[in-house]
Amino acid sequence: MTGSADFVPTGRSLRAERWRLRVRGAREFAGQFASRRDGLIGLAILSAFTLMALSPDLFVGAKETVVSATGTRLEPPSAAHILGADELGRDILNLTVHGARISMSIGLMATAITIVVGTSIGVAAGFLGSWTDSGLMRVTDFFLVLPTFVLAIVLAPVILDIIGPEAEFLGLRATLLVIVVVIGITSWATTARIIRSQTLSIRERMFVDRARVIGSGSGHIMRRHIFPNVVNLIVAQAVITFAAAVFIETSLAFIGLGDPFAPSWGQLLESAQSAGAPGLGAWWYIAPPATCVVLVVLSFTLVGNALDDILNPKAQVRR
Amino acid sequence: MTAPREELGLARDLEARDRFADDETDPSVSSASDPVVALGDDAAPDGLPPGGIGERQSGRRGSLPKLAVPGAPLLVAKDLRTHFKLDAGWVKAVDGVSFRVDDGEAMGLAGESGCGKTTTALSLVRILPSNARIRKGSSIELFGIDLVPKTENQLRRYRWREISIVFQGAMNALNPVRRVGEQIAEPIEIRLGATRDRATRQSAELLELVGIPRKRAKAYPHELSGGMRQRAMIAMALACDPALVIGDEPTTALDVMVQAQILQLLESLRRDLGLSLILITHDLSVIAETCDRTMIMYAGRVAEEGPVSRIFTAPRHPYTERLLGAFPNINSDRRTLETIPGIPPDLLNPPEGCRFHPRCPAAMDVCREVVPPEVLFPDGVRVACHLHPAGAGGGMLISAEDVASRRMPPVAAETPAVGASPGTPGSVGK
Amino acid sequence: MTELIRVSGLQVHFPIRSGLIDALARRPRGVIRAVDGVDLAIDEGQVLGLVGESGSGKTTIGRVIVKLTKQTAGRITFAGEDVSALWGPKQLRDYRRRVQLIFQDPYETLNPRQTIHDFVAEPLEVNGLAPRLADREAQVISALESAGLPADFAFRYPHELSGGQRQRVVIAGALVMGPQLVVADEPVSMLDVSIRTELLRLMLDLREERGLTYLFITHDLALAWVIADRIAVMYLGKIMEIGPAQTVISSPRNPYTQALVSVSPSPDPPDAGMRAKRTILKGETPDAAHIPTGCRFHPRCPVAFDRCQVEEPPLFDLGGGQSAACWLVEKDQLPVLDPAILPGLPAPSPGVTPEAAT
Repeated sequence: MTGSADFVPTGRSLRAERWRLRVRGAREFAGQFASRRDGLIGLAILSAFTLMALSPDLFVGAKETVVSATGTRLEPPSAAHILGADELGRDILNLTVHGARISMSIGLMATAITIVVGTSIGVAAGFLGSWTDSGLMRVTDFFLVLPTFVLAIVLAPVILDIIGPEAEFLGLRATLLVIVVVIGITSWATTARIIRSQTLSIRERMFVDRARVIGSGSGHIMRRHIFPNVVNLIVAQAVITFAAAVFIETSLAFIGLGDPFAPSWGQLLESAQSAGAPGLGAWWYIAPPATCVVLVVLSFTLVGNALDDILNPKAQVRR
Repeated sequence: MTAPREELGLARDLEARDRFADDETDPSVSSASDPVVALGDDAAPDGLPPGGIGERQSGRRGSLPKLAVPGAPLLVAKDLRTHFKLDAGWVKAVDGVSFRVDDGEAMGLAGESGCGKTTTALSLVRILPSNARIRKGSSIELFGIDLVPKTENQLRRYRWREISIVFQGAMNALNPVRRVGEQIAEPIEIRLGATRDRATRQSAELLELVGIPRKRAKAYPHELSGGMRQRAMIAMALACDPALVIGDEPTTALDVMVQAQILQLLESLRRDLGLSLILITHDLSVIAETCDRTMIMYAGRVAEEGPVSRIFTAPRHPYTERLLGAFPNINSDRRTLETIPGIPPDLLNPPEGCRFHPRCPAAMDVCREVVPPEVLFPDGVRVACHLHPAGAGGGMLISAEDVASRRMPPVAAETPAVGASPGTPGSVGK
Repeated sequence: MTELIRVSGLQVHFPIRSGLIDALARRPRGVIRAVDGVDLAIDEGQVLGLVGESGSGKTTIGRVIVKLTKQTAGRITFAGEDVSALWGPKQLRDYRRRVQLIFQDPYETLNPRQTIHDFVAEPLEVNGLAPRLADREAQVISALESAGLPADFAFRYPHELSGGQRQRVVIAGALVMGPQLVVADEPVSMLDVSIRTELLRLMLDLREERGLTYLFITHDLALAWVIADRIAVMYLGKIMEIGPAQTVISSPRNPYTQALVSVSPSPDPPDAGMRAKRTILKGETPDAAHIPTGCRFHPRCPVAFDRCQVEEPPLFDLGGGQSAACWLVEKDQLPVLDPAILPGLPAPSPGVTPEAAT
């Protein structure tokens, strides 16, 4: 650390110090994370899937279509097709890897909506209290009890109508965007409740009082004091939400709300079911997408556990 | 309102019904009624008071644990070392502490945060976190029975029945979802094997003993005020009629008036029940009021120990002097406070030599290198400081054994016998 | 000696409500009278020690003065201006620059995610006082140095500092805007005894250097005696006695103060003979929702008589700057001063004597 004698205050040195602090903090964090075997395994799995999602072509080539299919109908695993083929002869491995992008994009976008909406409402309700809190919480309660699937079925045509059937965003077409919106709508309430709860306890802490005493307004306090202290919880929530979103998408696609032209894992399972794969014993059609869902959810859980422990402020030593 | 212990005749009956496999009560061991004799002219040439050491006073429960060594003092800690294992190494929280508590005595462990006083007390009842180790070579002798090698199961015989503890902040130690009366009755049922009825009645009597009206036994902890809760904790600690009660900062969180009430209660309990007390606190004023002897600790070691009246009037160790001066005293004219520069040392890597030397205004070269040995002076005070070496002023080097036997320097103070060289604690000139 | 701050007739009552039904019906189930009619004044450069046990209302008064809690009734006059009605960040901008608070718990006052620099600079940021980063930095360093900390502490996080160091940071944070009045709420009670003295010395030095005025809130009478010029003793929301520190300690006139002084612990050896007889009161302070009638201390007072149960005594001026609220001292009081001579005070209601300013 620099001694006070040679410390000259300029804006630049402050920025440099901050950067040094951040780097040091990041290194410490990386070190702690590296000591958690569960976190590392989760991270490894997650990285693998992320890579698959980002550049599926590197692994298996272009997405197979009916035209480019080379297998026979429901062909079992063989040398040419490691995981067999579907009812149109497309390579299952190919489809599964490509499905990663769709499933995970949906998960990511849905999580983003959930976290942004949930956190804003949670912090506002928790901090501002009284009527704002009551009002927001009644709205939250309403959304909390909505059943996901029923809502999805009801909302799908409505949202489709609003955004138009030709809409596309980040490679996802209208039907899938509907799923994203539906997951967002039904998940934010839980996050809001949890964040509000944490906000209520942070609000009573002395450093918030101190921020008031020096003249901070509510906005400043929420941004500078409440938010940084709920980040842990947000990360934990994001991880849970992502896993849940992937799972919900899979289920929604399975019941037929997906996009048949965008083979997410759920969609693959739906196709498998329609093609009669279970009855015909074509396990190679069902197992890969299902296993991927499980692995992705598992990896998030592992990473989430590790992060939770590391970021937990109670782990800090008090002198 | 206090009821002398004989009237609560429970303890004797229950001893007979003791269900524990290693039943250690022996009603045939009677108690003499000799209090510990003050030292002075009638001290025997070897410094031991006549009439045996540590005999229980009259009015106490008449039985001692079966394994008790006859004539042994109530509690002796010899060279106690309790270390905590962290990733970074061992924290030497208690590092060579010896002391003795006699029957009916009140000993105050004083010091600031990190000095090891709480760890010392918790080591006595062995309520320690999982990364704590009591080192080999330490011994804790209760009536002469060494508790250190005992297993958890064996310890249970003594915990709460011979030694109990009153924690700081009763709200943390009382179960918030159970009624207060039940919580006090619980150890009576479990430890002493009483029936539910008996235990409940005993619990009500204990509540009255500590100044809580009987009908409040049905209350939950949060319904009681801070002072009442602390009294309930004391009642719980007395439930199994222990010989020794440890109070860990029992009044720190309380208002000053309530503190005075609780200290008054402890005083009357000591008188009427013949209770012995180890009081842990950072507040020297509390020790001045309640204790007979005090041990000032710093960074895991003993700085000074002896009768309260001597240490408070003529402190020898620089830390004790400064510490006394840091407390405001409205009875004096002094409106200034002493300061001790620096902060307590890191116990992972404590300083070499005397642990206080970085902050000591009188530090000499030897203090930086050599651990000061404990030296006992004729007025009964033991100091570990190079400013007070053996020889000058009648001081005599002492070992842990000497502490245990309350050995005194010869009255006609000569220089101690051969062979005593400063620097090795435990070297005894004989 | 000019007066810096005065509160008159201060009341802070908190309604106890429970449940939605009660809230809708606006039906309070009781009232906690935390502060129940307090008059206080502090002169510039003075240290007033506000002493009381838990439930006495001393912390609430501190919070009202720094505008963290709103008073239910009463007036606050600061440097001649009536600031009673000011509320909200905009209106209080100027007031906040001049009146600041040192908090009790150094482990809780610092946001664990904020660097020391950010903590100390925050008042400047929030009030737009030093828009350029370099300016802010310079002021932060100057504040840290005044509090006895080297400049390189600015880039540390709270968990790297000891309790005493953290409290110095809190002090630096309170000083950075250059306040005139500092309310210190138990500033050293969570620190080790040997560290306390340094912090207290720092606070007194700062008073010399910067002409600060302190309201020093504490439960420790002896501590107040060491540091304060005047001491006010509170019980259940009212002032029982106020006067020069030495006088209140050596000749208290209110029975509660007398009891408090007699039980205040002192590190005297038991045989020194210096310890006066202790008056240990029975029971504990009742809660502020059930304040006794008449003199609120009468149920526990060792010398209460019949008038005490019925009528609440005002503060009687006993001369030498000392006042005590007790019927027993009524006959010793000085004649009531003409309120016309003391500007800024409301006209006294019958039976209430305004406290004589020093």
